Amino acid sequence: MTKKIFITTLCLITFAILLPKHVSAANYGMSISPPLLRVHIKPGKSITQVYKIENLSNNDKTLVAAIVPFTESDNFGNPVLNPKTTAPWLSYFSLANSEIKFNKPFSIPAGSSEQLILSLSVPETAPLKDIYVTLIVSTYENSLDQTFQGSALRATIGSNLLITISSQAYPDTILRIEGFYPAKGAVIRIGNLYFADSITPLKFTATVTNEGNFAAETKGVFRVVSGKNKPVYLEGILPVNIIAKSQRQLLNTNGDTFEFSPSLGNIGPHQLSLEIKTDNSNTTSTIDIIFFPLKLSLGLLISLLIIISIIKITSKTPEKST
Amino acid sequence: MKVIYLITLIFFSIFFTIFETSLVYADDLKSPTFEIQMSTINITGGAKSSTTYKLTDTVGQTFQGQFNSAGYVILTGFQYINTLIPFSFKISDLDINFGSLVPGIPSLLSNTLTITTGSAFGYAVKAIEDHPLRRSDGITTIPDTSCDLATPCLQTDANVWSDNTRFGFGYNMSGVDVNTADFINSTYYRPFPVENIDQPAIVMSKGGVATSSAATVTYKINISGSQAAGTYQNAIQFIAIPAF
Repeated sequence: MTKKIFITTLCLITFAILLPKHVSAANYGMSISPPLLRVHIKPGKSITQVYKIENLSNNDKTLVAAIVPFTESDNFGNPVLNPKTTAPWLSYFSLANSEIKFNKPFSIPAGSSEQLILSLSVPETAPLKDIYVTLIVSTYENSLDQTFQGSALRATIGSNLLITISSQAYPDTILRIEGFYPAKGAVIRIGNLYFADSITPLKFTATVTNEGNFAAETKGVFRVVSGKNKPVYLEGILPVNIIAKSQRQLLNTNGDTFEFSPSLGNIGPHQLSLEIKTDNSNTTSTIDIIFFPLKLSLGLLISLLIIISIIKITSKTPEKST
Repeated sequence: MKVIYLITLIFFSIFFTIFETSLVYADDLKSPTFEIQMSTINITGGAKSSTTYKLTDTVGQTFQGQFNSAGYVILTGFQYINTLIPFSFKISDLDINFGSLVPGIPSLLSNTLTITTGSAFGYAVKAIEDHPLRRSDGITTIPDTSCDLATPCLQTDANVWSDNTRFGFGYNMSGVDVNTADFINSTYYRPFPVENIDQPAIVMSKGGVATSSAATVTYKINISGSQAAGTYQNAIQFIAIPAF
């Protein structure tokens, strides 16, 4: 009996050791909040902002936090980061955490979160201008196993900070709307006038350029008025940030291009306008479109031709001789 | 006579359709998506709506008043996204280990990138490598692919790489928020940009809210018979940043 128990135990131990174990591959999952910080600050003032970093992966992660400046972005507000750039104002930023510092590794256990307490202290002598940075949190690089053949992946997640250093709440902004055109649809252009079918939806694209030295927000409306200045359609512009000396595509509040679907009643001249109103300036771009029932007229004309043809054929049918 | 009557009738119909004064009623004024936004510091606020309008507002001290008294104003996130869900980025597998490579026979591996913008509006995921796949001697490399001879590819312009006599290392993208005008199908590849030389290349992006947008990255290596034996390694960095 003792011998049987011994053999059974031995077998179980052997299987437990030799059976293939479930090994999960190293994955990555990280979240950051908030994704955007917009700060207007006077020289000589300080602020702190808490960022929550959560490790969503199934293993502990060693990370490094850093501040990376940027001066450019694409038309959709994605910053072009310059990791090699240095600027004297980078010293305005620090982490108020007791154990976590910029460019020093720190760990977050799997499924846990950590707070980064970002401090911004603007000296009295700071120049009045915008500074743009991204707070990035990257996986810390370890040396690879010598038998590993291929690519070891690193991951970085970030949050943008748009900071305006100014002595006034609303520093001057200079926005200009450009390229406000019908994107597609039945449109004929003669000079500055557009002719469009009155039952075909029209899409419009436009960009806005910030020629000023401070970031601004694209608050405004897309408006359509008839020739008698009666409002026909009104839609909000998606309020997005546009940094200094950059360009952004304007979108509606759903994040799509602007669209106007005229009805049968929308015939004749109409004015379409994009109006952006910042706290201290306005900018407007307009286009004139004459809607006419092109498709409807063509349909009627074809119907007319068919009817005439039928009548002619019917009237020419020779009568049967008696 | 009947024909003339018919033509006259149709002519007048067209004439009145074109030149009739269009009647615009008050309820033609459409503003179901219009939002009024106020720059105030939150005391209370929220979304209000009826059948004809949608308004998100904040009530409290004005931006100007807050700036004058405190010397700063902080705005976090995006007013038009009513969520506290954070911006998150996931990679299904961090180790792209090809193991042994056979000359002339491409090796393929893949993993998945997943983005949730949460309280951000739009994002871009960019990729860059530290250097081409390189042996421990620091000199010998597997070059980054230039795709087929007839269809050369660039770091931001994918093209066909199906010729097994063309050697190198590259990647293909498929799935949500991938530029399918560039990565047309699974035969289209790009080389990775190189750190300190090139700018990171966008591999996923969206100009709006993304909820668990997932894309597959397929990594491909094809080596020649003359490739020096050894272990080749590099590091690829994926950078996920929300738009502003």
